[in-house]
Amino acid sequence: MNGNDKWELQISEAELRTMTRDLDEAHRETIPTMFDRAGSFAEEIAEKEGRSGGVARRRFLMGAGVAGLGLALAACGSGSSSSSSSTTTSSAPAKSASPYTGDLKVVALATALENQAVAAYTAALGAAKAGKLGSVPPAVGTFAQTAMSQHSDHAKAWNAVLTSAGKPTITNVPLSGQPAVLKALGSVNSVGGVANLALQLENQAAQTYLFAEFNVTSAGGISTAATIAPVEAMHAAILYFVLGQYPVPDNFLAVDKAASPSTLTV
Amino acid sequence: MGERIDTRLLTELSVQSQDLNSDAVRLTKDALGDFTEQEQERAAKRRWGPAGMVAGLAGVGVVLGAGRAMAASSTTDIQALQTAASIENLAVSVYQTAAGLSFIKTGNATVAAFIKMTTAQHQAHAQAFNAAVTQAGGKAQTAADPKYAAVVQQMLPSIKAPADVVKLAITLEDVAAQTYTKNVSQVDDPNLRKLFGSVAPVEAQHRAVLLAVQALLAGGGAALIAIPTQPAMLPAAAGSVGFPDSFYSTSSASPVNEGAVQ
Repeated sequence: MNGNDKWELQISEAELRTMTRDLDEAHRETIPTMFDRAGSFAEEIAEKEGRSGGVARRRFLMGAGVAGLGLALAACGSGSSSSSSSTTTSSAPAKSASPYTGDLKVVALATALENQAVAAYTAALGAAKAGKLGSVPPAVGTFAQTAMSQHSDHAKAWNAVLTSAGKPTITNVPLSGQPAVLKALGSVNSVGGVANLALQLENQAAQTYLFAEFNVTSAGGISTAATIAPVEAMHAAILYFVLGQYPVPDNFLAVDKAASPSTLTV
Repeated sequence: MGERIDTRLLTELSVQSQDLNSDAVRLTKDALGDFTEQEQERAAKRRWGPAGMVAGLAGVGVVLGAGRAMAASSTTDIQALQTAASIENLAVSVYQTAAGLSFIKTGNATVAAFIKMTTAQHQAHAQAFNAAVTQAGGKAQTAADPKYAAVVQQMLPSIKAPADVVKLAITLEDVAAQTYTKNVSQVDDPNLRKLFGSVAPVEAQHRAVLLAVQALLAGGGAALIAIPTQPAMLPAAAGSVGFPDSFYSTSSASPVNEGAVQ
């Protein structure tokens, strides 16, 4: 990599990786808490609809595993083949009346946005591996892999909520803006270009969760969105830094870039 | 310490970010405006009581019960806002103290600029929380959070280098982010959810930057703490050290009444 031989860390890369691993272990500890919260959200939705909350929680736990597998397959697919396969399809039927209404429409939107981010990072890493982005700094590669993994965790949580509500999971990107994202991804040929695109997706995701926090009625939905928004904002901060911009540009997160539920195409 | 920073560029970026930020500030003012309207409606309801609902049927017990429930939820909102303001007041104080330390003043210019900008952001948060408190009929909180003020007092003598300042700042930013993240689902008013929800990610961003700075300082990469940085020179782990969790934890969130005005 450019210039790496000119600078040596006073602690080794292995030590830095250990620091990262320690933090990653701390992160793994937060996942059960988060899934418990999303499970409560699933129960809450079921009870509102007159269904058994306990059954919904069990379905949530089962759904969390299945949704993860589905998402992994979807991500692999979008990274290894032509991107046109992931435009507006999902495992849910299109055209007919949307199965996602009320809070579940916001859940579906959140899932689609997370899938969009996973697919974008997968495609970017694929392009980097193929040498289409020029020299890729190691930190940028690590950023993309870790952010992608976290978006995948978010998608799993949201898909599990959909499963528990008896709704189809979303394993693709059913968003009206996805063709434009794919077009932009297909035309970038530099790390900076990819980072700018990723920054737009991260800001949109963070702002959409903020929008959800004061528009969703379910307590579980509100708290789940609240625990994800800061993480997307942290991704954005590091991207700003990598792009040479001030990493915390706003005093308050806005919602002007939030995705509208009307952009969901299922 | 690395002095590769172009301070003119940083000033320019700060101006640009202030422009961007003005939109977000406007949005938060809108939320506060909506909150004020709702508070006025609530105050009117409190003054007149739910007389229409009870219509002289259920008597005093029902009226008092309903009144207590409304007052209780409003108290939670006010205490949460006061606690948030107390955390912001402490953060402002700590960053202002840090800015005056000799090794910060003569050290890495980007770290000093970050401290200055972050101080201003915490001041803006404190103002927003206190504005909401007074609009809700509560007293503005001008004191620092007592629990973490004690922690800071305990740590101050051991602060000898930039890494010590960064470590303390990470603790405060994390407490702020966790507390507001939790507050989002604790307060009753959607406009307050919007307020807490718009601040928590900013504190999380401060923490992300500080975690990256901490790793670079520990790794002898202070020269890379610059805007713009040299991405190609950053160690691989620097790309992910800033965001350790998929979901923001709230296990260390401050209780709603921790910094409430007594």
